Amino acid sequence: MTQTEIIARLQSIFDDVFLDPPTLHPALTAKEVDEWDSLLHISLLLAVEKEFAIRFRVGEVEATSNIGEFADLIEVRSTEK
Amino acid sequence: MDKQTLKALLLRRDEGFWDALREITRSATEFDELFFLSMLRKRALEAGMVPPEPLEPSRIALLGGYSLYPLNELLLHLLAVENISAEIHKGDYDNYVSEMSEADGGLAEFAPRVICLLPSPHRCRHTGPLNDPEEIVRTEAEQVAAHLLDLCRVAHDQFGSEIILGNFPLPARQDPGPFRSRSLATDWNFRKWVNLQLGLRAPAFVHPCDIEFLSARRGGIHSEDSRGWFESKQPGSPGLLVDIAREIAHQVQGLRVPPKKVLALDLDNTLWGGVIGDDGLEGIEIGDTSPRGEAFKAFQRHILTLKQRGVILAACSKNDHARAIEPFEKHPEMLLRLDDFVSFQANWEPKSDNLRRIAAELNLGLDSFVFADDNPAEIEIVRQFAPEVTTLLLGPDPADYPGQLQDGRWFDIRSLTAEDSQRTEQYRAEAARRSHQADGADMGSYLESLQMEATVSSFTAIDVPRLSQLINKSNQFNLTTRRRTEAEVESLIGNPEAVTLAVRLSDRFGEHGLISIVIGRQHGDTLDIDTWLMSCRVLKREVEQVVLNELARQAADRGCQTLRGTYLPTPKNEMVREFYPTMGFQPDASSGDAGVFVLPLNSFVPKPTQIHILSTQS
Repeated sequence: MTQTEIIARLQSIFDDVFLDPPTLHPALTAKEVDEWDSLLHISLLLAVEKEFAIRFRVGEVEATSNIGEFADLIEVRSTEK
Repeated sequence: MDKQTLKALLLRRDEGFWDALREITRSATEFDELFFLSMLRKRALEAGMVPPEPLEPSRIALLGGYSLYPLNELLLHLLAVENISAEIHKGDYDNYVSEMSEADGGLAEFAPRVICLLPSPHRCRHTGPLNDPEEIVRTEAEQVAAHLLDLCRVAHDQFGSEIILGNFPLPARQDPGPFRSRSLATDWNFRKWVNLQLGLRAPAFVHPCDIEFLSARRGGIHSEDSRGWFESKQPGSPGLLVDIAREIAHQVQGLRVPPKKVLALDLDNTLWGGVIGDDGLEGIEIGDTSPRGEAFKAFQRHILTLKQRGVILAACSKNDHARAIEPFEKHPEMLLRLDDFVSFQANWEPKSDNLRRIAAELNLGLDSFVFADDNPAEIEIVRQFAPEVTTLLLGPDPADYPGQLQDGRWFDIRSLTAEDSQRTEQYRAEAARRSHQADGADMGSYLESLQMEATVSSFTAIDVPRLSQLINKSNQFNLTTRRRTEAEVESLIGNPEAVTLAVRLSDRFGEHGLISIVIGRQHGDTLDIDTWLMSCRVLKREVEQVVLNELARQAADRGCQTLRGTYLPTPKNEMVREFYPTMGFQPDASSGDAGVFVLPLNSFVPKPTQIHILSTQS
C-alpha cells in the first residue's frame, strides 16, 4: 500500500469518528484539529487497528508527528506479519 | 435497529432518534460502539435537536489511581440517554487521598452528590516475600481495605456524598503458578482478600463497583491493557472501560430510581415449553425428563428465588383461564404454584390491558413492572400501550432465560429486610381489596403498526403435510375439531364441491406460517363450513375477518346464497362457542340444533381489517 492509499482509507475512518472530519493530508497534525482529543484518539486507534488488522506497539503512535508518518507506521505494521 | 439506521434518523432530524439512541446504547458493549453513539448524540445536540424528556442534573466526582479520561465521557453518555445530565468533576491522576480528605479543596467547592473512587491495584499488593506469615499479610490486606473505607467515610461526612467504590481486578496471568493459591501474599489472593474486606465492611453509603467481577466477566486478558496503562494510565482495556462506566451509571441511576417490584410473566413457552391449550398437560415441556424441560424448570427456580427476595409475581397470558391454571395445579414437575402469584390474568384481552389491571389491583405504578414474554408481538403491544412497563423479550433459547432476566439488573438488592420476603402476602391482600377496570388499548392502531400481510390460497399438494398437521393438532380455535388424514386432505384438492382455504400470515416481526384453515362444502345454494380453525398465536389479529370475507366472496362466486356454520363443543374449544354470532351469523331456526348458524350472503358487507391481502387464489 502506498501512503496515499493508506491516507484514503484513513479518511473514511476519520469521517466516521469525527463530528467535523478534517481533510487528511500528510502534513496534518493532531494539534491542528480541535476535536482530536484523547477520547477521540483512543477511538481512532481502535478503529485503525480494526480496519488494518494491526496492533501498534507501546508509545509508537505518539512518536509520529503527522498523518504522513502515521500512515507510514501503519504500512510498517501491516507488512511485518 | 443498527448504527447506520440511527445515523439516518439523525440526518433526517427525526425525533425517533432519541429512543433509538437509548435502545442501542443500552446494548452496546464495546468502546468504539459507545464512542460512535456518544458522537451521534453530540451531533444531534449541535444540530439543535432536543431530547424529549428534560434531563435531571447530577454532580459526580470521578477520582482514582488512573487517568479518568475518557471514562468520564462514556459515563456522561450512558447517563445522558437515561435522562441524567451529569456534571463530572474529574480528579487528578492518583491524587484521590488528598482530594477526599481536604475539607476546603476543589471537591468541597464542587459539592458532589456522588463520589466514584477507582483505586488502582498498583498499591494493593504485599511487598514482602511470598512466605511471610499469613497473619502479617492478612493484617496488611485488611489495612488496605480499612484505609479506603476510612477515606470514604471522611468524604461522606464532609461532603454528604454517596460513594461508589471500585475494587481490584485480579491478575490475568497465572503467576507464580500453583503456589498462587497457597499463600495470601500472592497478588491473586491478596487482592481477593482486600476485595472481600471492601465488600463485607462497606457501610451503607458505600456502593461497591465490583471490578473484580467485571474483568472476570469480560475475561482477564481482555480486560488488562498494559499498553493503555503505559501510554495514558487507563484502568484497563477499552472494553473494560465500557463495563466500568456502565456499572457506575447503573449505580448512579439506582440512587434515584428504586428497583422494580413486580415480575409479570407470560406462560406458554415462557414458564414451560409448548402451548397448554394445544399440547395439554402431558404435552408441555417442563421438568427433568428432557433438556428443554429442565431449562424451563431452572427458569422457574430462578423466579422462585426472586420471589423469596421480595419480588412480586404476576401471570399475564393469552389463554383460557381454566387451561392456564392446570399445570400449576396438576403438573408434578412445576416449581411455581398458583399461590406464588399475587395476580393471575389468563384471558384473551390485550396484555397491556391486563398489566394495567394488575397494577390497579396491587395499587402499584406500571413503572415498577417488568414484563417477560417470548413473543415479540406481545412485547410490542405492551411497549406501545403500557410504555411505563419495562419489557424483556425472552429467547430464542430457554436455557438463557435466567441469564437474560439477571442481565436486566431490575431486581438489584442493596440490603435485605425480613419484610421483603413477605411482600407477596401483603400484595395479595391488597389485590383482594381492589378490583378495577383497565383502560382499553387502541387495538386498531396497534394492529396497523404490525403491518400484517396475509396470503389466502386453496389447498395445494405440497402443503398437505402441514395442513394435516394443523387440522390434527389445533384444539382451541377449532369450530368442529374434525380430524383428517393426509389422504383425506389430499382428496379435497380439485374436488369441485369443496372450498378450501389455507391462510398464511406475516407481520413486521416475521412469518407466522400457515395459521388458519377452512374447508367448505357446497350443497345447492348453501356453503356448509365443515372445518374452521386457527392457531391461537394470531388470535385478535383480525384473521377471522379476512377469512370470512374470502369465504363469502368465493361462496357468492359459486352462486351460493348462504354460509352455514356449525359449532361442535369439546372440552377445549370453549373460546369459539360464540364465534359465529360474533361474526354476524344467526342461529339456524330450521335445523333444530343450537350449534348451527347461518349467514345470508346478499346482505353481507365485508369486515374491515388491518391485514393487507397479498394474494388470493381460488
